Amino acid sequence: MAHVRAQVDTWDELVAADGTPRPAAAALLAQLEALEHAELQERQTLAEIDILTMGITFTVYSDGKGIDRAWPFDIIPRVIAASEWRRIELGLKQRLGAINQFIDDLYHDQKIIRDGVFPADLLEHSVNFRPECVGVDPAFGVWAHISGSDLVRDADGTMYVLEDNLRVPSGVSYVLENRAISKRVFADLFAQQSILPVDSYTDELNRMLVSIAPDGISNPTIAVLTPGIYNSAYFEHSFLAQRLGAALVEGADLVVGEDDCVYMRTIGGRERVHVIYRRIDDLYLDPEAFLPDSTLGVPGLMRAWRAGTVAIANAPGAGVADDKVVYAWVPDIIRYYTGEEPLIPNVPTYRCVYPDEMNYVIEHIDQLVVKPANESGGYGLLIGDRATRSELDSHIALIEADPRNWVAQPILSLSTVPTLCDGEIEPRHVDLRPFILSGATSYVSAGGLTRVALRKGSLIVNSSQGGGSKDTWIVEAD
Amino acid sequence: MLLSRVADSLFWGSRYLERAQDTARIVRSFTELVIDMPTSAMSSWEPLLAVTGTRVDFDERHDTVDEMHIVRHLIADTANPSSVITCVANARENLRTTREVLPREAWQTVNDLHLYVGANAAGGVARRSRARFLGRVISDSQQLDGVMTTIMNRDEAYEFWRLGESIERADMTTRVVGVRAAALLAEGWAQLPEDGQTVAEVHDDVQWMGLLRSVSALQMYQRVTRGPIDGAGAVRFLLLEPQFPRSVASCANRMREALTRLPRSKHTLPAVDQLDVVLAGLQARADDGASLDAAMDELQLALAEINVAVVDAFVRSDH
Repeated sequence: MAHVRAQVDTWDELVAADGTPRPAAAALLAQLEALEHAELQERQTLAEIDILTMGITFTVYSDGKGIDRAWPFDIIPRVIAASEWRRIELGLKQRLGAINQFIDDLYHDQKIIRDGVFPADLLEHSVNFRPECVGVDPAFGVWAHISGSDLVRDADGTMYVLEDNLRVPSGVSYVLENRAISKRVFADLFAQQSILPVDSYTDELNRMLVSIAPDGISNPTIAVLTPGIYNSAYFEHSFLAQRLGAALVEGADLVVGEDDCVYMRTIGGRERVHVIYRRIDDLYLDPEAFLPDSTLGVPGLMRAWRAGTVAIANAPGAGVADDKVVYAWVPDIIRYYTGEEPLIPNVPTYRCVYPDEMNYVIEHIDQLVVKPANESGGYGLLIGDRATRSELDSHIALIEADPRNWVAQPILSLSTVPTLCDGEIEPRHVDLRPFILSGATSYVSAGGLTRVALRKGSLIVNSSQGGGSKDTWIVEAD
Repeated sequence: MLLSRVADSLFWGSRYLERAQDTARIVRSFTELVIDMPTSAMSSWEPLLAVTGTRVDFDERHDTVDEMHIVRHLIADTANPSSVITCVANARENLRTTREVLPREAWQTVNDLHLYVGANAAGGVARRSRARFLGRVISDSQQLDGVMTTIMNRDEAYEFWRLGESIERADMTTRVVGVRAAALLAEGWAQLPEDGQTVAEVHDDVQWMGLLRSVSALQMYQRVTRGPIDGAGAVRFLLLEPQFPRSVASCANRMREALTRLPRSKHTLPAVDQLDVVLAGLQARADDGASLDAAMDELQLALAEINVAVVDAFVRSDH
């Protein structure tokens, strides 16, 4: 029989400190305990075979080459009670609503700066602020249409927003695929209890993309813009295009005409595109406006967007609020625009741009997580209590050289979920990335992507660095 | 409307998969034929190199020309651009960029075949496992065909798929006819020492059966003709029989259908007209080996012209 236990000093998502199941996870744990190790391992093996034959992959880079790898998945799901989830959902909608108002404000009147809530010098030094976007009015004042905010839970059970991904967050395709696999692995559990379905995400995405089409276009042509097959998230780009019934285009498939409209090159000639769901970073979008030697983008795209002939999601420049320095102000941003207290707290964040906070970080570096302000994928991240003295020193040198690029946070313990490791069930650390859609209305995915650090004790959940994933169940507990 | 880049990938994905399937059929039927023949009668596997057009490539990399080397070259050699393993990998790479226009099950079938071939091609060289390996390549291709036929919209992506498939299939049929039928008709096989009869005369019917089988045409041929196999009849069947879906004439019809439904047909259909002209001239040449060989070259040129017309009309042009 499989034995499931939690780890001391951390919060386990399935098992309480006294060893009893959390109510929403009771049925799952009963099933796990009833299974022999061999049966559990067999289910894991079958899931991996499904992933391989369904071609669910991600791309990793090694020696300059992209390699298509099978998506790492652990069959034991993470469970969240529906009652808790409803609060998180509200909190995320509140957060993204405020963030979108913030971005729109920055590209227009900058009231928040004039009112002294957000420091002007931060904006001046922001690498993600795009002067090219000033004065543009995207539909509904929404800039970050698709975002993925990473949530983590500390030892006392508090859920925090760890970061907001507002540029081209990825992972949602794996939410849907993980569920497809998980339904096979635990078919009986899905029959026994009420687990929220995740499939409606792509439909909601479609609705949102249609809603932001240029004025007067009721049945827009939608394209997903990908950097191409060598991008680590190509699988997802293709998956989303499939589910949306949209064209999956590369920069070279698009052309901006004399009329400032965007067209794609089809076998029958040029066809107008009204909405672009781009999965390319701002700076590569348009060589006329940004990096002149970008071959991924479309010359003239910014011109078309500014002329209002095409909607781009996420809007260029939305990344100004996706910055680990700006992150520290999000609670104030929420209060400023909504007049409400944040429903989901931020992790306390020290901003090295301020000398006193930088000094604190340098003095306490062995008790902090130090992060570069503008990197994703976990690169450049330092976990103080696990680093050697020389690693700490070299990070201190990096911070002193460019303080604005660094922030630090206390080391959270990150909650765990029982995970199948070499045939044994052991607690492993997880985070959670729900996806939030903002358009005429807003929508939060039912759960999100649970990423798990497969190495014992590790806090690094990125799939590019040995992380795995789990299905996330939002369960109505009676 | 279909993106030009995606159309190109679909077209090539489809061609590669058809080539893998055709190569599998040819190797399978040739193996059966050799097993059927008396040991002295047929020891050469070289016709397979000629049919697949890989003779030069093979000679550059091999000193030994025997069954094992040739079969490995044709099914499991990743350095051979038209081996089964390479074609399946290329098909998958092309179709990986067209997943949004294909039914999900189609991609899964291709992916599954790719995994199977990667793991089993080397083991499929040996005679005892060869039939099973090649059979799986063929049946997976047929499964894919079933997926496309039953659940795919008859849209432009579908027409490109059919177009690639029919061009490749016609091409392979002309190679089989050009190399093996021409040789059979010319009675170019080794003399048996005792009585001076040629092997071809002795085992003529078996050879022709093998030939028909290599494009999976034997049973259908027999249903249409209802008599003993005659060489010229078999050749006419493979090239011209409108009822047989793998005949060159049927493939030409399908190309015409697809191109008629796609845009810019006035730029592409003339190339199919030209193919029909060559086909029409074949009736009279079906029983003469040397003339047949030359006629197959003409057919292949016509097919290459269709390929050029498709690429020019849909992929290269910047309209």
